[in-house]
Amino acid sequence: MNFELSEEQLLIQAMVREFAAAEVAPIAAEIDRNHRFPEELIPKLAEVGLLGVPYPEEFGGAGADFLSFTIVVEELARVCASTSVIVAAHAGLGAWPIFEFGTPAQKEKYLRALTSGEKLGAFALTEPGAGTDAGSGKTTAVLDGDEYVLNGSKIFITNGGYADIYVVTAMTDPDRGTRGISAFIVERDTPGFTVGEKEHKMGIKASSTTPLYFSDCRIPKDALLGKEGRGYFIAMETFDGGRVGVAAQAVGIAQGALDASIAYAKERVQFGRPIATLQAIQWMIADMATEIDAARLLVYRAAWMKDNGLKYGQEASMAKLFAAETATRVAGKAIQIHGGYGFTESYPVERAYRDAKITEIYEGTSEVQRMTIAGNALRKHKATR
Amino acid sequence: MKIVVAYKWAPNPQDASVGADGVVDWSRAKSGISEYDPVAIELARRLADATGGEVIGLTAGPKSVDASMARKAALSRGFDRAVIVADDALEGAGTTELAAVLAAAVRHIGEVNLVITGDSSVDVGARMVPVVLAGQLGWPAVGEVTAVSVQAGLLRVERDIAGGTQVLEISGPAVLAASTNAAVPRIPGMRDILAAGKKPVETLEVTALDVPAGGTTVSVTHTSRPDLKARKQQMIDTADPAAAAAELVDALRSAGVL
Repeated sequence: MNFELSEEQLLIQAMVREFAAAEVAPIAAEIDRNHRFPEELIPKLAEVGLLGVPYPEEFGGAGADFLSFTIVVEELARVCASTSVIVAAHAGLGAWPIFEFGTPAQKEKYLRALTSGEKLGAFALTEPGAGTDAGSGKTTAVLDGDEYVLNGSKIFITNGGYADIYVVTAMTDPDRGTRGISAFIVERDTPGFTVGEKEHKMGIKASSTTPLYFSDCRIPKDALLGKEGRGYFIAMETFDGGRVGVAAQAVGIAQGALDASIAYAKERVQFGRPIATLQAIQWMIADMATEIDAARLLVYRAAWMKDNGLKYGQEASMAKLFAAETATRVAGKAIQIHGGYGFTESYPVERAYRDAKITEIYEGTSEVQRMTIAGNALRKHKATR
Repeated sequence: MKIVVAYKWAPNPQDASVGADGVVDWSRAKSGISEYDPVAIELARRLADATGGEVIGLTAGPKSVDASMARKAALSRGFDRAVIVADDALEGAGTTELAAVLAAAVRHIGEVNLVITGDSSVDVGARMVPVVLAGQLGWPAVGEVTAVSVQAGLLRVERDIAGGTQVLEISGPAVLAASTNAAVPRIPGMRDILAAGKKPVETLEVTALDVPAGGTTVSVTHTSRPDLKARKQQMIDTADPAAAAAELVDALRSAGVL
């Protein structure tokens, strides 16, 4: 078993680190403080190929593997969780369903524009009354001649307002439960489709999170993604990859918080010595380092399985569950190590603390992950008896 | 136009340590492209893109400079191809020896219009290779270069000098050492990284080149930490500024500083 990253993956890691230090770190605190979506980063990310990492070159992507994509998400999150989720939601949630389930015509029309960064993507499943209970969404899509007519609303959509292409789920057959949900590709500026006000969030403040409103929004029949009734399945498949992406983001947030804590502990002198020499601090650092490493290995394992065509839902859930809870724990310890200074905006750890929490919630709460993991574990046990 | 960038695959002193006896321990140091070389590559890339030329990476050292990771790291930075002189006979080679090998390699490549190097290497920092290399080739060497272009068939070179900028026109091939702030090197993109392993590389041993024998050798005899000087701890009362200034001047004179 080889635990080493390949040479290409190591070079990618070094490159993203360099990019993050040069282009993202200088603005990370400001975009958080001002709730500002970093539009100026989009062309820069595109120029170094970070908006289409896991997609084939024929679609304008970098042609790299999914593991490389998780490395990109982690390295960006180390410096700025908002930038990381903008990239992950665009490339992982917005572009992936079109790549996996789109017709040749749909891929031709949308993929290149997404992978090149010319257009940003987003995925819209969640509704005011349908979060974890994703199957109970009320947005409808009614076929009328050559068009579907969408009515309803979505909430908490990442990249809302900045994305040009939205993969939207809607009920085409209300009597069939989750089998009555379909997925559609909706372009911004379609009449009847509006974007609401940005949410004011506790963390990932520079990421734009908005409601979407559909009022007799007419889209062409060929905007249907996959077949009618496959929308829920498309969402769940998309979220398997999305889960690994969020896990990578959580690992990055935690690593950034640990790096800051080690640097601080070496400098901060109390009782005549750097606090890094005190066992209480050392043991916190030991726990943080071990948990982050374990979380990272879970991410790599899930990514490796996806790259090798293996079913990886269980492993994706485990990675997301563990990495998210690690990020929250590590960020809390990071503030503790920084003491009073950690509670101020002058140090980056308070941002890590605010950013970490969402990783336990979006793309399937930790409770959902536990349901999935337990379900699989119980099923598997039965099968081997 | 053929532009060669002579780069160094060197250990980064960040992780090296110095013992009490002044001997440097490089064992934990990680090797990489020498810190200022990407600036040279950026200047070469811009010039090649403007003139339709090619950028050829050139390095010389022990076999480790031809390791897969070293090749990919170099090629991902903007070279069209690379020529690598990898020979354990070059282990511990001094500046003059390396410059002679590089010169032979430049002649081997043939019809080279320009060689650009970084300001200095991250591990040795002697700033000698560009000059000795130029001497070996019989070409002019220009340092502190901030810009280079081709105009009316001539190389137009700008360089930093004290208090301003000097502009030179050079008719034939030359060796330029890029100033550390000549350009902000572009960050390699995903495509550059993934294509790096597929770019052409020619690997040579020293014996395949026509390296002139003899010449001056430079070798480091020893390194030592600076002696800790005893501090004078001399306080000058500044109540009367004029008197204090006079006392300071006297003290500096007697210390041999002025």
